[in-house]
Amino acid sequence: MRRWLAQVAPGAIVLALLLLGIQEAVDIGLVKRSLMPAPTDIGRVLWELFIDGQVAGPLAETLARLGIGFAVGASLAVMMGLAMAYWPAVYGLFEPLVELLRPIPKAALVPPLVLFLGVGDAMKITSIALAVFFPVLINTVQGARGVDPVLIDTARTLGVRPLRLLRQVILPASAPFIFAGIRLSIALGLILAVISEMIAGTGGLGFLIIDMQRAFRVRQMYAWIVILAVVGYLLNLLFLAAERRFLFWYRATERT
Amino acid sequence: MLGRRSGLLLIAVLLLSWEMSARTGLITSENWPPVSAILAGLIHETLYGDLVQVIGATLSRFALGYLIGICAGTIVGFAFALVPFLRRMFEPIIELLRPIPAPALIPPLVLFLGVDDLMKVTIIAVTAFFPVAINTMQGASGVEPVYLAVASTLQTGPARVLMKIILPNTLPYVLAGMRISLALALVVTIVSEMIAGASGVGYYLILMQYAARSADMYAALFVIAALGYALNAVFLVAEKRLIFWYAPEP
Repeated sequence: MRRWLAQVAPGAIVLALLLLGIQEAVDIGLVKRSLMPAPTDIGRVLWELFIDGQVAGPLAETLARLGIGFAVGASLAVMMGLAMAYWPAVYGLFEPLVELLRPIPKAALVPPLVLFLGVGDAMKITSIALAVFFPVLINTVQGARGVDPVLIDTARTLGVRPLRLLRQVILPASAPFIFAGIRLSIALGLILAVISEMIAGTGGLGFLIIDMQRAFRVRQMYAWIVILAVVGYLLNLLFLAAERRFLFWYRATERT
Repeated sequence: MLGRRSGLLLIAVLLLSWEMSARTGLITSENWPPVSAILAGLIHETLYGDLVQVIGATLSRFALGYLIGICAGTIVGFAFALVPFLRRMFEPIIELLRPIPAPALIPPLVLFLGVDDLMKVTIIAVTAFFPVAINTMQGASGVEPVYLAVASTLQTGPARVLMKIILPNTLPYVLAGMRISLALALVVTIVSEMIAGASGVGYYLILMQYAARSADMYAALFVIAALGYALNAVFLVAEKRLIFWYAPEP
């Protein structure tokens, strides 16, 4: 208990002091309220947003876009990555194209996508899927190419066909790499969700943050940023839990 | 190698069918200019337009913000790894700020710092900071304990331990963090230019979209892609030189 306290107390104290400091600086007028409202005011706005359920709509909107874009981007990337790792011809065919498209910062694709898909969900989901696609693809290829050849040869000797081999041997064996790619891409996907909502939005967390800033409703702006931060934090926790559940065998072999 | 040739051929075929579909009127759309028109626009804007200044503005902003971010990240990362008490004090704040997607911090920064360079350099630096700080901390606290034990047996001074053991063992981690930061910082540079202010490639890109000058918009996209590609290539060369002795575990 005392050990735990020594671990946690310094951080908690610094954090509390920081919040108190901001509160005090705002109260005595050192910082303008129009720039940085008091933490208690932000807390009050947050409380109201939660109490009357206003938080649900925009949150669901952003999460739905992120979920769909992520699912599409990640599953396509895993399939294509496995194919590229397994068949050298597929690798040769797509590798140069991937290398050409990969370094484009995906945020820069939002304006052209707006031209083709408009400012609606299709554009946002596509940009999220694109952002998610490349890290997962690269990691899948890397992971699947590094699978122990003995595993693959054994399966082949036992007459396992390519599709089953991919699904039951190569996919699980490269799962640690795929998960690493997915973890990177969750953060990227959230960034793209926010950006696309900011640039061409009518709803969602990103839109609200920039809309509140333009309307000088500063307390609301900070409240939505806090909500977004919590979303980012929880998504990461969720992912770590999923990783622990699916990769328990990997962690176990790591330790020994 | 036959494989790679087929890939280059695929790119050529795609570009050619883009060109043909736009030229022959198979797809007639304002949004679908032929590739040759984009290249012509790119050359024209470079020679007679202000594309060079636009790129310069973006690059200088990016470079300044990135440098500040990675320096701060390295320093903080080392400080946290070497002085556990500091880490206990400030880690919760970092953990609270880290999950915020960087673009979401642009609106409040606009309030404090305006829409000009100061805001953009700050957000770029903040973005570059986190991956470097986290990686440096992990690397520096993960130094093989045996090395440190040997050093203390040989009564090596703390400065020497830092320079000869901790620093070289941490460098690969620092560089890995810097590489993640590079891509993120470039994204945030472009985004901050898109959202606020009136200069740089990001602004140019969105301006051309609003102006429905799609060939110039794609030209800007080419430029941004080339920037991403070149920065990454430069970084890889630098990394190879700096840690030539380091081979990542297979």
